[in-house]
Amino acid sequence: MPDWREYVRGHLPQLHVPPERESEIMAELAAQLDQTYTESLAGGASEADALRRAEAQFANWHALAREIDAAEARFAARLEPSHGGMLAGWWPDLRYAGRFLRHNPGFTAVAAITLAFGIGANTAVFTMVDPVALRSLPYHDAGQLMAIETRKAQQPELEPWTSILDLRDMRAGAGAFSAIAGISPLWNVVLTGLGDAQQLTALYVSADFFRLLGVQPALGRAFRPDEDNGTQPSHVVMLSDSYWQRQFGGRAGAIGASLALDNASYTVVGVLPAAFRYEGEPLAGTAGEVDIWFPLSANPLAASPRGLRFLKLVGRLKAGVSPERSGHQMRALAATLAQKYPATNRGFAFDVQPLRAQVTGRSRVAMFLLLGTAGFVLLMACANVANLLLARAAARHKEIAVRAALGASRFRLLRQFLTESFCLAAAGGTLGLVVAFAGLEFLKAAAPASLVRAQDVHLDFRALAFACAAVLLCAVAAGLPPAWHIVRNDIESTLRGSGRSLTAGHHGLRAALVVAQVAAALALLAGAGLLIRSFERLLDVDPGFQGRNLVTISTQMPAAARTPAQRTAMYRLIHDRLLAVPGVVDAAAVSRLPLMGMNLSARVFIEGRSTPGEPGADVEYRAATPNYFSTMGIPLRAGRVFDDRDDANAAPIALINETMARRFWPGADPVGKRLKLGDNPALAPWITVIGVVGDVRHAGLDTEPFAEIYRPYAASPLGAPVLVIRTAADARPLVGALSARVRSVSAEVPAYNVWLMQDLVDRSTAQRRFVMWLLSAFALTALLLAAVGVYGTVAQLVTQRTPEIGLRMALGASPAAALMLALRQGVRLAAVGIAIGAAAAAALAQLMRKMLFEVQPLDPAAFAAAALVLAAFAALASYIPARKAAQIDPLGALRRDS
Amino acid sequence: MSNADTISLQKGSLEMILLALLEARPRHGYELAKLIESESGNKLQFHVASLYPMLYRLERKGLVEGRWVEKAGERRRRFYRLTPPGRRALGQQRRSWREFAIALNRLTGFSHA
Repeated sequence: MPDWREYVRGHLPQLHVPPERESEIMAELAAQLDQTYTESLAGGASEADALRRAEAQFANWHALAREIDAAEARFAARLEPSHGGMLAGWWPDLRYAGRFLRHNPGFTAVAAITLAFGIGANTAVFTMVDPVALRSLPYHDAGQLMAIETRKAQQPELEPWTSILDLRDMRAGAGAFSAIAGISPLWNVVLTGLGDAQQLTALYVSADFFRLLGVQPALGRAFRPDEDNGTQPSHVVMLSDSYWQRQFGGRAGAIGASLALDNASYTVVGVLPAAFRYEGEPLAGTAGEVDIWFPLSANPLAASPRGLRFLKLVGRLKAGVSPERSGHQMRALAATLAQKYPATNRGFAFDVQPLRAQVTGRSRVAMFLLLGTAGFVLLMACANVANLLLARAAARHKEIAVRAALGASRFRLLRQFLTESFCLAAAGGTLGLVVAFAGLEFLKAAAPASLVRAQDVHLDFRALAFACAAVLLCAVAAGLPPAWHIVRNDIESTLRGSGRSLTAGHHGLRAALVVAQVAAALALLAGAGLLIRSFERLLDVDPGFQGRNLVTISTQMPAAARTPAQRTAMYRLIHDRLLAVPGVVDAAAVSRLPLMGMNLSARVFIEGRSTPGEPGADVEYRAATPNYFSTMGIPLRAGRVFDDRDDANAAPIALINETMARRFWPGADPVGKRLKLGDNPALAPWITVIGVVGDVRHAGLDTEPFAEIYRPYAASPLGAPVLVIRTAADARPLVGALSARVRSVSAEVPAYNVWLMQDLVDRSTAQRRFVMWLLSAFALTALLLAAVGVYGTVAQLVTQRTPEIGLRMALGASPAAALMLALRQGVRLAAVGIAIGAAAAAALAQLMRKMLFEVQPLDPAAFAAAALVLAAFAALASYIPARKAAQIDPLGALRRDS
Repeated sequence: MSNADTISLQKGSLEMILLALLEARPRHGYELAKLIESESGNKLQFHVASLYPMLYRLERKGLVEGRWVEKAGERRRRFYRLTPPGRRALGQQRRSWREFAIALNRLTGFSHA
């Protein structure tokens, strides 16, 4: 038996009556059909006959709807309340909107999916950005926490680390802070005695670090001040919650347990809360998780000299002290220390910035760029939906006029349209959450750790609130302009009976929307183009070494190895053990490795060039073993590299890089020339340049090489060498064995900062790569949205002007002329959009300046490419409907017009 | 009388016919349609499509009142009953028809059987 209710719902055009009344009428008509059908059957008719008889009763549904509407006019008028406030009648509005959308499934699907992508992409990007850039830090009174950084005035791009002796002086001399804590770099320690040896990630922190952040241990206690009061290492540790769960199954008995770490015994005194994570450096912008926390006194570098900068600092301002005042104080202190210890502190300043800024500093620009771009795309999606709504409006002007005639106020009609766009946006938002979920999974997989910490990123209450806000924005942005336009123009024009002039009126607004879309798309395309060109340039940059199959391990000479001879012997031992590992080709050592963000500089006095008595020029200083250059793949340009003859007793020699050769001996051969190092040239020995090596991008691929000088390792043996190990094949499987081999030399020799050199290179470009891809994806979406907008507008124009085009063709115009007429319209819109977009793109490019590399913000190629691509898309989008114009049958078109 | 004439006459008279059929007792739409068909000896064939709009119009004017009624073992139906204004309007229309018929009679020699 047929479902007559459904049958009526499917056939009866929408009535202009309240939804309850409409449903009543449908029920009654269905009852009529039903009874006719069943009685026909009862009277012996076949099922097909019964069906036919029933259906024949309402042959013309449109006429029926018109008659019912006319009969119900007074009810309909009652539906439009002239009083009752802003919200009266919202439920009928909502049901009416629901019915309208259900009756136009194609339109609804396209609009909702367009919005779903806009809202979904925005929610995903917001969720990614939120924990990094928007949320406040999860510590007590986090606004008072400051990061204190030691900056080298001439090389602000260098990673700021602070020495432990400077930290002590800061504590003594800076009254602005109630406490300052030091934090070591991420350290690898080896746990033995509990099953297989495990490598754990550790941080060494000042005893007051946790108190300063306002973090209470979940179990046990934090470090005591006396556990970090000098050079005597304290053998206590605190565990992270995840490591405690992993190793001790969350048992309270862990407190007091003894752990053998790097061959020394430590007592567990506390466990940190599960939610605790330090957000500042050295963890900021990484996915690093700390397993175990040591007091700073236990660090192998705890007794290091002032020149060895290895700590990050966090301080808590005293109540009532402004960040500015603390900054003044720190700058004054840095000046005092520079005078007192010129050899290590001259040229260094102490910077104070909110900890939050340190946490987000590296990625803030990229984050906001992505959020802004996603927002742009959402607005474009809204513009497309607004355009669709305007197109629908042409078909609805009669309905609007009827409702207006029945007494609906403009406000009432406006609200009806907004309710519809709200329903659309809500549907889009619901779908958008699915898109956001999928998008977020993609972002988590694709984004570098410096931008996204996967464990913190999930759709939560804030994401939901953001999606709701986006839905509201879409409802208003997509709904209001067309609604207002329709309500303002339609009532009058339709009542005047000029249905056609109203679509022409819409055309102006639609054209404006399309121009805005094209402009936005151009800005995004140009922005993406600039990033792509920057990235291309960056990938072309030669880092100056061969990163493949290269491992680097930071280590530290034991306290017992004090003299150069002892250190050289110790290094030999490490070197030989590394070479014994199968697959190792060569191993070398250097004082500062490329791309690790660390550097050391020295004053240089050039024979025959520098003026005695004046401070020398600043150059980078490194000590390297003879085979460092071959191991790294740094080419020799002139002279020779170090060899075994260049020991501590040989005449002082040095290698320089190409930049230094160009800077100090332009056009001349520097080999054999002499120079001095240090602040007091009169006392320093002459050093002979024996060769020139290739430039290395030490600070990053996007930073020009500095003038550099290398001295032989044997002449100044390193206290904390960085080892580089070249392997025959992929080094990744060897990493564990190599660090174990370094540690095997002595219990006092650590292995930390273990990296594959290629990972360091990739890491230095990962953020750029990701931002470039994401921005390109958004720009592509924008391009498509703009193309759809152009297509829709030109298609509407062709439909609207069909009679005119028909007439022209009847009078002898060629199909090509008709094609050009339509095409011209689309191209003109695109041209205006491109012109406006170029201005917007120029502004955007200025904002992006920091993210560009060897590309000017107004790079003509990027702008031209963006404009060309956009123009091509616009032309194509216009061509498809324009071709229809060329195929117009003049007679048919004229007949239609009459 | 041609079919077209019947239809135009029907249109004007449908309102009165419906009011008259509802005079005795409340009825639902299907029953009204059936009655019109059978009582007129199939002479009057109101299309159902005009029946319902007319009922709504009468309801809107307050001459009839519709109410959903559900009886055991029967489908739910909307019954219409005559309201007091409807009863008055029916009386008024009957008078008008009578006067109209008399006038017609006089002018055309048509005699009411």
